[in-house]
Amino acid sequence: MLMLSYLLATGITTGALYALVALGIVVVYKATEVVNLAHGELFMMGGFLAYTLHVMVKLPYVPSLLLAVAGSFALGILTDRVAFRPLMKEGLASVLLATIGISFLLKGIARVFWGGKGDYLAFPPLVSPEPIRIGNVMIMSQQLVVLLATLAVMLVFGVFFKTTRAGKFMQATASNPRAATLVGIHVSRVYMYTFGVGAAVAGASAVLMAPLTLLYPDIGFVLFIKGFAAAVLGGLTSVPGAIVGGLLVGIFEQLAAGFIGTTIQDVSAFIVIMFALIFLPTGILGVRGIRKI
Amino acid sequence: MRVVVSHRAFLVVLFAALAVLPVVANQYTLFVGNLMMLYIILALGLNLLVGFAGQLAFANAAMYGIGAYGAALLQVRLGLSYWIAAPCGALLAMAIGTLLAFPALRLSGIYLALATLAFAQFTQWVLLHWNTVTFGAGGFPVPQPDFSALGMSPDRGIYYVTWVVTVVLLAFAWRVVRSRVGRAFVAMRDREMAAQALGVDLLRYKAVAFALSGFYAGTAGALYPAVLAYVSPEGFDLFQMILHKAMIVVGGMGSIVGSVIGASLLVYLLELLRQFKATQEIVFGALLLAFVLFQPRGLVYFVKRYVPGWAEPLHYASDSGSSSDVTVADEVVTGSGGGAPR
Repeated sequence: MLMLSYLLATGITTGALYALVALGIVVVYKATEVVNLAHGELFMMGGFLAYTLHVMVKLPYVPSLLLAVAGSFALGILTDRVAFRPLMKEGLASVLLATIGISFLLKGIARVFWGGKGDYLAFPPLVSPEPIRIGNVMIMSQQLVVLLATLAVMLVFGVFFKTTRAGKFMQATASNPRAATLVGIHVSRVYMYTFGVGAAVAGASAVLMAPLTLLYPDIGFVLFIKGFAAAVLGGLTSVPGAIVGGLLVGIFEQLAAGFIGTTIQDVSAFIVIMFALIFLPTGILGVRGIRKI
Repeated sequence: MRVVVSHRAFLVVLFAALAVLPVVANQYTLFVGNLMMLYIILALGLNLLVGFAGQLAFANAAMYGIGAYGAALLQVRLGLSYWIAAPCGALLAMAIGTLLAFPALRLSGIYLALATLAFAQFTQWVLLHWNTVTFGAGGFPVPQPDFSALGMSPDRGIYYVTWVVTVVLLAFAWRVVRSRVGRAFVAMRDREMAAQALGVDLLRYKAVAFALSGFYAGTAGALYPAVLAYVSPEGFDLFQMILHKAMIVVGGMGSIVGSVIGASLLVYLLELLRQFKATQEIVFGALLLAFVLFQPRGLVYFVKRYVPGWAEPLHYASDSGSSSDVTVADEVVTGSGGGAPR
């Protein structure tokens, strides 16, 4: 029972972070119908930016978080300007290949600045590592803080999407770009901000995750695959789906690690992706899509 | 004076040079030449699948690994001779490659890309963690085949084997793209629905494309343990994926000679940067990005334009993407008002 509750608590915490990564993927996919394959590397850069500011420059945690999010936002915009805007009329393959190019470029740059393969940087913990007891459940206070912060980021994101002008522009563009153009929305600018927002959410999740795990240049792809698994499970176009998918992937992964073996943890995301694509191609909450010709 | 070089002459000269390389070169150059031919095989297989058949799959490095591990493990675990193990490894990769065609019939574009990427990572995980069979992360040494009967060192012997295999596979790819199968690939890439209406059996030709590509990658893989005498999971990781992709994009998508050019140049570059992993990632990432942005038809297009006599028909997917799901973004850019031209 104690083990189960521990696994569930960990699963929900990491799942919430996967949900954030998935959220970034879904927001970009909804608007542009491409998946940014450099999304994981944007996540990784967000984490390293925060590390540089917090550990090396010794800024407090919250300003480091905000600056890292701003940095990721800028990188997201750069991704749009370099790999999406000039290539969107060339088709999906070109955009995917270009974002893969960017992902390796960023990974190489991170390796130059923050150490070679196998160098894992530890991010200092936010709070004391004392576990908290809620009823029968033991939870690490660190996890609780991360979980609450993740929920806060989701809330901020939801409010931004539903109430602000920019958020409404994004929604309009995602649902019908031609109609959005007709009512005077500058669609390619919206795409740019969409990439920025997606990257900013990835950056925020990296800064939140950093105290729980370690940072290394290859972390981006690991998180990207997990975020993509969550996004696909949720249907790839649904924001609530991404959140549910993220939690499911997190919990599934922890349960598999706890009851089958820890090496399964690394591979559970692949199993989820292949299962979801073959048996649940529209996801749990996705709209049954009409295939365009 | 204008230099007239036909694309055929280029291939003949290149392979003639590769054939005499062992006579003049030292052991390291011989190794690089051998590696170059392995990558030519890989690039040819990938180009058939991505450049010609338009299936944006990311499992090439995995097929390469399956071929290599198949050939190496059959020797080390079951004590089979290399000459039996190697074809088995290649056929194993081909079989698994063909299986990937089944999801490919249902999935397209982004879903296919990511399903195959996930499969590639899954393969990598199996190589790393199935310790009782694969020896885990450290890899394992593999004995090189014996060429003493021909009076040759193993390095030199396997070099000639690779040379023959590469020439045969190159000629075969050359034939395939000019056959009914090759035309079906291009039709399928350009517009699936139209190809189907013209009687192209999509399942069959997708299966053929994946099988061919798996066989090419598996063959390169089966040669790998004999060339390097060592196999480890690191040789088939994500970086290999981007390397193979960069080779066909730099050389020229939908071009046989382009695959050869891209593979040869990038292997040379890879060797120059051998020591620095970070630099390799930066250079190959930037190279892929730059070619997709500025020269998406690859170097071969450039060559064809400026070298008279170069007459290879190119099959670059000119205006459409390689998948059937046209992005909505397209309409906004191209059709400013009325019905989109698609």
